[in-house]
Formats: sequence, C-alpha cells, structure tokens
Amino acid sequence: MTLLEAVSGSHEALEKILELYAPMINRYSLVNGRLDEDLRQYILIHIALNISKFPM
Amino acid sequence: MNHQQKNEHDELRARFTAWLETTIYRAKLKYLNRQRPKFEVVSIEELPEDALSVSEKAVYGAVSQSAFDFEEERLAEAFANLPIKRQQILTMLFVEERKPEEIAQLLNCSAQHVYDQRYQALKKLRQALMKGGDKL
Repeated sequence: MTLLEAVSGSHEALEKILELYAPMINRYSLVNGRLDEDLRQYILIHIALNISKFPM
Repeated sequence: MNHQQKNEHDELRARFTAWLETTIYRAKLKYLNRQRPKFEVVSIEELPEDALSVSEKAVYGAVSQSAFDFEEERLAEAFANLPIKRQQILTMLFVEERKPEEIAQLLNCSAQHVYDQRYQALKKLRQALMKGGDKL
C-alpha cells in the first residue's frame, strides 16, 4: 500500500502521495489568490519531514 | 479486496486526508508568520511624544483635541493630560467607534493591549474627576 510505504520512508511512494494530494497542496499555497511557489515548496518539505509521524 | 478491507482502507485514507490537511494548514501558518515583519514592542508609557511622526501627531493630535465635545472642563483637562497614545485609543474607540481588534491592527499591537490601555485611561480620567469632588 502506497501510504504505508510513504510513511515508512519510500521516496517513490511519497511522490505518489504528493501527486495525489496536489490539488489540496496547491489550494493551500495560494496567498491573496496567487500561487506562492515558496509556500508550496515549504509545504512539500513540511509534509516530507512529517509524514513518518502519521499514526497508522 | 473484501468489504471489510475496503472499509478499513477508506477509513485510513480519510484519516490521512484529515491529518494531511491539518499538517498543511500548520505549515502555511508557520510560513506566513515567518514572512510577517517583526516589530519591537515598546510600552506606550515609554514612548516619548516626540517619537511620533509629524503626520501622526497632526492627524491624531488634532482629532484628540477636537473630536470629543467635553462639557466638563476638568474632563477635557484630564483627557489632555493622558499620554498621546491613550488619547488616540480612546478617540478611536469612542469617537470613531472602532472595535479593539481593528485598533490593534492599526496600531500594530494586541487587542488585549487596547483593552488594557482603555482601562488605564478611563481609570485616570475617573481619578482626575474624583479629585475635584465628583464621583463618576
């Protein structure tokens, strides 16, 4: 299962998860109606660093 | 995948979606807080009147002198003796009828600070009037 693999540290699985949730990530990356690329990158890094903390 | 496995899978996915949304929201808040310029907090009491810019004095000084229509001369005097920032806060609260939260944003301080200043200012005014023999 992709989620389990992503939580376990698989980069490939993490990429799939990020792709799947891209619409949500992009929605939160909007500042005053415009996509803030720095914010998007910050969110992606934040997810990558914290996904292992997700309680399965 | 049988029915029970599908349910477990859906439940896990829902939990992950909620967790991810919270994580993204927190990341955004953290990012935006870092972007916000930081200001050094200085107590109003410590702020000399001269530190106010000319334009600010012109705007708020003028407002504070004339915006209140004091019938009581002593009240006008007590008001004039308040620190300029407290005069400004009272004017914004009672003349301009702004909300403390709005004032806090304009003055770049917390709403609690506005409440505190209002309390202190009203207390001073009350004391000033009571000294003259009246009780409010």
